[in-house]
Amino acid sequence: MDKRQYKYIGKSPDRSEALEKVTGRAAYVHDMELPGMLYAKALHSPYARAKIVSIDVSAAKALPGVKAVLTGEDAPYLVGLYMIDKRIIAKDIVRYQGEVVAAVAATDERIAEEAVSLIKVEYEVLPSVQTIDEALEAKILVHEDINDLEYMKGVFFPQKDSNIASWNKTVRGDVEKAFEESYLVVENEMYLPAAAHTPLETHAAIAEADPYSDRIKIWSSAQSPFAVRQLMAKSFGIAESDIQVIIPYVGGGFGGKAGIHLEPLSALLSKACKGRPVKYKATREEEFNQLPTRAAMRGRIKTGVTKDGKITAMKVYYDWDSGAYADYGVNVGKTAIYSGAGAYEIPNVEIHSRTLYTNKVFSTAYRGFGHLETHWVIERQMDMVAQKLGIDPYDFRMINILGPGKTTVSGEVITESTGSPSDCLKAVAREINWTGYQSEEEREIQRKTGKVRGKGLALLHKAPAMPAFTSTASIIQIDGDGKVKVMIGAIDIGQGANTAMRQIAAEVLDIPLENVEVVWESDTQKNPYDWQTVASKLTFMGGNAVIKAAEDMIKQMKEVAAQVFRCDVSKLSHGDGYIYHVHHPHKKLSYGNLARGYSYENGNAIGGVIIGRGTYIADGLTNLDKETGEGLPALVWTYGAHGVDLEVDLETGDVHILKIASAFDLGQAINKKMIEGQIMGGVLQGIGSALSEGLKFNAEGKLLNPTFTDYKIPSAKDIPDEIVPILIENPQADGPFGARGVGEHPMISVPSVIGNALYDALGINFHKLPLNPENIALAIAAHHTS
Amino acid sequence: MLSKFDYYKPVSLEKATEYLNENSETKILAGGTDLLISLQKNKERCKHILDIKAIPELNRFTYTEGRGYFIGAAITVNQISEEKLLREKYPAISQGADALGSYQVRNRATMVGNICNASPGADLAAPLLVYDAKVHIASSEGIRATDLCDFFTGVKKTILKPKDLVIGISIPDVERGDRSVYLRKSRIKGADLCNVAIALRINPENKLSIALGAVSTIPMRLFELERKIAERELTPELGDWLAAEIKTYINPRRDSIRSSPEYRYLITGVLAKRGLLKLIDKEGA
Repeated sequence: MDKRQYKYIGKSPDRSEALEKVTGRAAYVHDMELPGMLYAKALHSPYARAKIVSIDVSAAKALPGVKAVLTGEDAPYLVGLYMIDKRIIAKDIVRYQGEVVAAVAATDERIAEEAVSLIKVEYEVLPSVQTIDEALEAKILVHEDINDLEYMKGVFFPQKDSNIASWNKTVRGDVEKAFEESYLVVENEMYLPAAAHTPLETHAAIAEADPYSDRIKIWSSAQSPFAVRQLMAKSFGIAESDIQVIIPYVGGGFGGKAGIHLEPLSALLSKACKGRPVKYKATREEEFNQLPTRAAMRGRIKTGVTKDGKITAMKVYYDWDSGAYADYGVNVGKTAIYSGAGAYEIPNVEIHSRTLYTNKVFSTAYRGFGHLETHWVIERQMDMVAQKLGIDPYDFRMINILGPGKTTVSGEVITESTGSPSDCLKAVAREINWTGYQSEEEREIQRKTGKVRGKGLALLHKAPAMPAFTSTASIIQIDGDGKVKVMIGAIDIGQGANTAMRQIAAEVLDIPLENVEVVWESDTQKNPYDWQTVASKLTFMGGNAVIKAAEDMIKQMKEVAAQVFRCDVSKLSHGDGYIYHVHHPHKKLSYGNLARGYSYENGNAIGGVIIGRGTYIADGLTNLDKETGEGLPALVWTYGAHGVDLEVDLETGDVHILKIASAFDLGQAINKKMIEGQIMGGVLQGIGSALSEGLKFNAEGKLLNPTFTDYKIPSAKDIPDEIVPILIENPQADGPFGARGVGEHPMISVPSVIGNALYDALGINFHKLPLNPENIALAIAAHHTS
Repeated sequence: MLSKFDYYKPVSLEKATEYLNENSETKILAGGTDLLISLQKNKERCKHILDIKAIPELNRFTYTEGRGYFIGAAITVNQISEEKLLREKYPAISQGADALGSYQVRNRATMVGNICNASPGADLAAPLLVYDAKVHIASSEGIRATDLCDFFTGVKKTILKPKDLVIGISIPDVERGDRSVYLRKSRIKGADLCNVAIALRINPENKLSIALGAVSTIPMRLFELERKIAERELTPELGDWLAAEIKTYINPRRDSIRSSPEYRYLITGVLAKRGLLKLIDKEGA
């Protein structure tokens, strides 16, 4: 199809649920009230690591209105995505401050809270693992039973008698030899703290567990209903089919609602209350303290280059301070070994990625997981190597950039269909008028004004991190009036997926957009399967599934129409809601006339109910080799780049972003307006990670900033003067209309680009996030006294 | 929230002081932007809530030539922000009001509440201090007034006794040509507590007044520093001296999560200098 002829693809229709959301009609789990519903509250551990000596719940149980009080004894289940390592309620030992130690269900929230306050726990405080080095030393094991934990074999590699939940590696070529032969070797250590997702809607779940059978019904703010069902079934030892998960509107997830969280605890409480529905909605403090975060990470990187700027070798240790349970953390770590060298061709590479258990709140997926973190290391390192070489960092990137015919660190050969990182870098460099670093003299002139401008560039790439067998599906049903209802298994959590799927279905079926509805309130009893709503894979995989379902529907309608017109199916085409004969276009039948079978005048009927079916599986992917990291992990790479122009106040350390340009090779825009929205939102979220965010713990592992008072995310006033989204469209041959995913990517490399621009402005290389006014001002002061 | 309380909203000051007298463990509710959070998190507990918003005297917001402003305890921060005459005469107070919390918070929060909560970084404290504001306190024994500079006694502590009720704040009138500025530094540009706050005022006789917030246990008026400045000429060159000198008057917390003492020392100097330059620049403030 010629893209210029698209009716809906690449256009900017409003989100289909926009009206409901802006008028407040859209109902979330938080809004839901069910007859007889009870309310849950939990007691959390105040200690990072402690033995639970005793728990006395008698006073809590005696409080009128309390229907159940559960402790670890009542919840003998382990749950986990890749490592089965987490108890639903802590038993015998607590592993992080904020871990659930007991839970109450009561007739209202106040009673539940009061009951929690009446639970008496005696702890024996134990020394804990708080730092990456302590985790590696392994004097204390966060999981003393690490050798016995069940895990996904062949993909993750927990190490015996250690705190290493998984050690993944890429080894390609001979780095040591290459370093010896290098003209220059540059080593750096970079760090970034843990960060919170801060969705507008905190986690919430309601469970109704039948006390007389295994059946459990759940309403959740989860991203991945089928994953909730599968993980819960495994944990409880019941059939997946006994669990029903319903997802109404979701107020943002960013990965924090992937996997399984409040659902099993709500289910156990419901079961204990004879099947009354139990609602657990997390407070904002629980969102920070109890529910998972993005891991802190330390990267130690060594790069070898030739005199003319060709990278010959790279060795990196990525160590993830991943908290008490593995959850998504091991998979975050895994991304580093195929993505963590950046969008460059490097002949000799060694990447070690170690996901470490520590006694802190556990970590999970967070928008573009693993990539913002590894790119903080890689893209800062690219600038620092360029500085040492005396080469323009733009040129240095271009010398080493991936492109058709080049090979990734996993051994994948890039083609035209993969997209173009250099197009992205060129576009942003042009947009910010990049002419190279300024000279020290130019800086000096600016310093007199008290403010210094600086520009920076950074590249990025990301592929979905998912199992090689990931699949999804779509079902399209049609009504007698020719309007269709599309069902997918993935969830629109605010990213606009349902609007994109609507456009795709309307385009393929060639019917007006208003005749297509993507069904909201996803339900595992009704919707077709999807693995998880993560990884920026929905447009690609879901989009392909919807295309196939729509084509399947057309094929079925043509078969019936061919009988009516007494012609071969090959003579029929479709358009404007009709199946018609290509040579005799007046011979046509509307979709509505075929929707439920075709009826002749005498009452004879042929055909039947038309239902379109489409499935898509990530075919061709492989697990990565345990020792070398070789394999095919990427269904689709999306390349991108940022360029920033900013100004630093030399006295206060304030950073003011004048312009940030962000280019992505997304193959084909499905909905331009929503993509631009994603880019602006992602860039701003990246600015949060860059400039102000980060969890702070004291030496004992207590989280010091579990509220918005001291966990500062950007506000409206912190939005840059200008955010320039640039959409580059080199199509992917097997993408839906050539499209690639781009939901997560805008956040990646934002800290790096700001760090690089700060070097341009100040001549100072920053190695740690956040780049808040305090850290910048104190660095400037130290720089000038040294 | 574990507190269980009754709620009383009197329409006269008498009834209010009576209620306070009769009921210990009463919390006074005006905007509630501090109190409700504190109760929700069980940081404070109470048995009674006294809502003062319906008391006529506490809704007074008046200016009298020669006497200045009286701002009642029920007046919200946004009401203050929107008062044009106050902005002309006391710019630092309006700027402090503009900086407090978010617009939504300012719709409910009150100036008196901000002062009574006695946070060291209260945005309205430093501006009121440079204007020699007085706090008017009612109790069953009558009404008394105290200077704001004697009001704060420690972090979240004041001279108020359990049965006291602040009815308002008075700010003496200023002469034409009196100027002031309020500067603060926070971690982000949007709603945030300040790490350092400073109010500077210069009267037509060129007398400079300075008060600081968030750099000690209480918001402070720097009388001693003002005396030293009075011995000098107000020139742009004084800025560097002031930036260095003012640091000897502060005592920032060592273990604050919001900022290191080093940064607070640095910024206090920066803002003092910037404030001074703004005030002595004829175009500025």
